[in-house]
Amino acid sequence: MGLNTLAIVLVVILISMTIALSVFSRRFTRTTADFYLAGRKVGSFANASAISGDYLSAASFLGVAAAVYASGLDGVWYAAGFAGGFIVVVLFIASPLRRFGEYTVPDFAFGRFNTNRMRLVSVVGVLATSLFYMAPQMYGAGTTWKVLVGRGIFGLDPYQSGVVVVALIIMIYVAVGGMKGTTLNQIIQFWWLAFAMILVVIFATFVGFDVNGDGSMRIRFNYPETLASQSEEPLRDVKTYTVAELTANDGALLAEAEAAMRPEAFAEVEEAVETGAATDSVTVAVFAKNKLHTLKNELLGTEDGVFFNKPGHRYNGFDQFSMVLALVLGTAGLPHILNRYYTNPSGSAARRSTFWVLVFIGVFYILAPMAGLAGREFIKAATEAGTVPQTADFVSGLLVKSDALMPTIAQMLGGEILMGIVAAGAFAAMFSTLAGLLIASASAVGHDVYEKYINKDATEKQKVFVGKASVVFFALLALTIGLIIPAVGLDKAYPALIAMMVTWAFAVGAGAFVPMLLTGIWWKGTTERGAIAGMIVGGGGSVLIIFMNMFRALGTIPADAGGIVGFLSGLTFPSLFTFPLAVLAIVIVSKIDGQLPKNVDEIWMRIHGTAHERYERQHGLDKVSGLFQKS
Amino acid sequence: MTTPNGEAPVEVGHIGSQTYVRHGDHVDTIESVDLVFKAQRKLSFTYGAIFFAVTLAVPLMTDFVEGWWNTEIWGGFTWNYLFISLLYYVFLWTMAWTYSKKADKLDDRLADLADAITEEVAEEVVEAHGEPTGA
Repeated sequence: MGLNTLAIVLVVILISMTIALSVFSRRFTRTTADFYLAGRKVGSFANASAISGDYLSAASFLGVAAAVYASGLDGVWYAAGFAGGFIVVVLFIASPLRRFGEYTVPDFAFGRFNTNRMRLVSVVGVLATSLFYMAPQMYGAGTTWKVLVGRGIFGLDPYQSGVVVVALIIMIYVAVGGMKGTTLNQIIQFWWLAFAMILVVIFATFVGFDVNGDGSMRIRFNYPETLASQSEEPLRDVKTYTVAELTANDGALLAEAEAAMRPEAFAEVEEAVETGAATDSVTVAVFAKNKLHTLKNELLGTEDGVFFNKPGHRYNGFDQFSMVLALVLGTAGLPHILNRYYTNPSGSAARRSTFWVLVFIGVFYILAPMAGLAGREFIKAATEAGTVPQTADFVSGLLVKSDALMPTIAQMLGGEILMGIVAAGAFAAMFSTLAGLLIASASAVGHDVYEKYINKDATEKQKVFVGKASVVFFALLALTIGLIIPAVGLDKAYPALIAMMVTWAFAVGAGAFVPMLLTGIWWKGTTERGAIAGMIVGGGGSVLIIFMNMFRALGTIPADAGGIVGFLSGLTFPSLFTFPLAVLAIVIVSKIDGQLPKNVDEIWMRIHGTAHERYERQHGLDKVSGLFQKS
Repeated sequence: MTTPNGEAPVEVGHIGSQTYVRHGDHVDTIESVDLVFKAQRKLSFTYGAIFFAVTLAVPLMTDFVEGWWNTEIWGGFTWNYLFISLLYYVFLWTMAWTYSKKADKLDDRLADLADAITEEVAEEVVEAHGEPTGA
């Protein structure tokens, strides 16, 4: 077999299985409750697996290991924060949301505040959060295809091919299978990607990396020892500059690169600078600068280096708090995750599901940073031995795009088979998350707009058709976003872009929905105007700051910009500002407004009342029925 | 008003100035719901305070406590690295498990209390509107 053929076969098997399950599920999708909520009868264990599949996206599977590889301790925060978010869900959101019933977050907003305006503002929030979350999945698709297949199809380059193929497959399988098919697929996809991650760590720990490729030297991963050895040298960053930038200021950047790069790698850079035009791009490695404790260092005249096991590579003090807040609050604002809570048969089952989710993803997130650290050790050894794989780009012993780490170390550790399992795991992560996002977006348009405003008398057949048409539309939109990312240079602007982009989606969700949900559930005095003000301040503010940060990274806003523009565009994550401001906006506007819905007591009883659950318990209706019973 | 699951018959009505929601034999009044709400709020916000105190203590100590991020205690593990990469998950699992158990117990206790509180209203509802229909 040729290069990566086995790996490609494994991915094709996963894709075929996915489509077959969707076709099988089609028989059981007759109503909108089936299409959007799998009939509300998904058991805790199955739902926990599906939520985990929904949640563990390309950011978790490719991005966490990549972020740890690039940033050490600061990258580990992604894993911890992604997991911590579910505590907020279980404590404050899961049971009340399930008790309230309905289909979607905009449904909750409408039911809680009793106005159509609130539903429509929520629809905009769902679409904004979902699109932010779809973008890194599509980028992950292109990146993985590039490493796995290495060539394009139908005249497209490898990256574009990955984006197009994944978008088309996901479009077909969600439109055909609806939530029931998506649920079953997400369960299988979760276990596949968990298996792939476990396998990588087992291979790294017990089999080890054959450094010279001839069995003469095999190194194995040992967590405390590898962490110690990788923390001896300062961290280096991979950066791309133009020749003009490298040679400016008497070649200051070139001197930095010379200090950080291996002599043979720097010789290639020198040659590229000598022979290249001023606008040609050259990729170099430079020592990272510590962003933390800057005040202390300025006062004491000291300088902290940046090491793998210490903080400071990625975040300053402000960004640390802001990122932690974005991650732990953002999970409770992700529409595709919250939709899943409506599929639980009871509030208690919703809590049980969340506990199992935490166990599943907790184990996964303990392993992902181990893979990132192991990758650092093995790639360094392979560089010294001259045996780095040719499927990814390296500069001076560092991956140019750290998001390619997982398939790369899989190939190094277990050849084509392990690479195939990991690549299939990456596609599984993208499929399962994209499927959830497409269902959430489709339900926002199909259920919240079409059924409520455009065609109130729609038949079940018409409703399901519109749901499927919405899936097709959003899949094509995701495809377009995926193609735009490298076209505007965003892939070169940030290290470990996938995890960064997902954190933006968390920040938008944390700003747009979490203040509204928390106050709407736990403070009876929240009014519709207050909630809308909070969503605009939190969600709109987050989107604005994120785009400003992007423009700064792309050079549209100068790096030395001052004033409010300079300050806001310098914020990597906006949540430390936007979340408290949104809560404040809700409280102040609600107090001034004071216009509670006339039936506020009835609404309150729907959120916190237990008669419904007592009734269901008495009649055994809180039990799980089969996922595949015809409705 | 339709039920979330479509299985239980739901009825919203008033006995005097009292609003009630009935699901079959079971009734919620604002009095019973307020009792449930306050008990759940106390439980959720107590756990929430612990969760945010621990979670936000990590970046705080990373900013200000050098021994936390700069002292290696096991191979290359610093306290900071060990906590975020391993111990934090133990903390999360413990939080989720103990909270779920306490919330389930609270649900059971509050369900009995709510039935007791609303018994009188339930009887009045039956007198006024007849026996429940449906599933």
